[in-house]
Amino acid sequence: MASAAAGSSAAVPFWRAAGMTYITYSNICASLVRSCLKEPHKSEAVNRENVHFVISKWANGKPEKPTIRSDSPEE
Amino acid sequence: MAMAAFRREGRRFLLSPISHKPSTVARSAILSEEFHPSGTRSISTQVVRNRMKSVRNIQKITKAMKMVAASKLRAVQVRTENSRGLWQPFTALLGDVPSVDVKKNVIVTITSDKGLCGGINSTSVKISKSLYKFTSGPEKETKYVVLGEKGKVQLVRDSKNSIEMTITELQKNPLNYTQVSVLADDILKNVEYDALRIIFNKFHSVVSFIPTVSTILSPEVVERESESGGKLGDLDSYEIEGSETKAEVLQNLAEFQFSCVLFNAALENACSELGARMSAMDSSSRNAGEMLDRLTLTYNRTRQASITTELIEIISGASALTG
Repeated sequence: MASAAAGSSAAVPFWRAAGMTYITYSNICASLVRSCLKEPHKSEAVNRENVHFVISKWANGKPEKPTIRSDSPEE
Repeated sequence: MAMAAFRREGRRFLLSPISHKPSTVARSAILSEEFHPSGTRSISTQVVRNRMKSVRNIQKITKAMKMVAASKLRAVQVRTENSRGLWQPFTALLGDVPSVDVKKNVIVTITSDKGLCGGINSTSVKISKSLYKFTSGPEKETKYVVLGEKGKVQLVRDSKNSIEMTITELQKNPLNYTQVSVLADDILKNVEYDALRIIFNKFHSVVSFIPTVSTILSPEVVERESESGGKLGDLDSYEIEGSETKAEVLQNLAEFQFSCVLFNAALENACSELGARMSAMDSSSRNAGEMLDRLTLTYNRTRQASITTELIEIISGASALTG
């Protein structure tokens, strides 16, 4: 990554500079493409975008308060 | 008084006036308890009947669970086989080298949230623990990220301090790529790693689930390995189009590879879980059926023994009167 920064400022794409990973970038692009669909395919595609899990970080062998990541595109 | 005693016991007796001897009443009363004075045990038919009813219900429930698992399996299996094409190009390009020697290892164990699925979660946890031992050493650091309730419970018992994150309720909605990729993103952001090792049960067929380890290297390690030659030595022979540098491309590839492999691993594990639940419920229905057969035999034996005893009492009473 040091070589990339030393090369030229244009080498780092805008989304990487904004702090996103490639995964986040591709997810946003995918949801943009999905929103271009027409009904009824659109509602089928939106079903594939539901996200729900409960994640909890551990520190020193104890779990901290779990955070629920239940973001679906509507919310 | 003898009649009242019979009615109290609640049995269908031949109401004959002969058995007025208190000793016969006492003997019949003892029959309904556990011990018989002559040394043989006999259980009341009511107890056996209750057991048979509950075993029969359990058998129905396990059969239903097997059907549910079978129907769910069909749908997930199709998706799993389709998702295998996601990571195959990555393995062709970047290789999958579990024997790589790195300092920071993160073991991602995928288990299920629900139980009654046989031994797959225990095998995954066993492999995680042995991999932990394998990758630990001086200056090396290994951490766990656990997906699924069952794995968390098992790993908390002795490896509490090495757990980095736990994730549960993953299968509340049907598994899709967006969900797994958001999860992968969370893991990548919060965990420092040189190599990620994903442990899951690969679905080969309905009766065979093989625990597998997939290794994903961080871009720096990929760079190091490709320079030193060996399996990744051909990486430099690829041309990079566009305005990105090699480090850029490797970073993007590593992130995307993790997301794809995690998606496939989660699907395969879900398939294996359903298959294991099918076979576990099948064997439990079979066991319940065998138990039911044995209980039926006991029930018939007890019933016939009590009828025979009644007949003996009646006949001996009658012969005592006439003889």
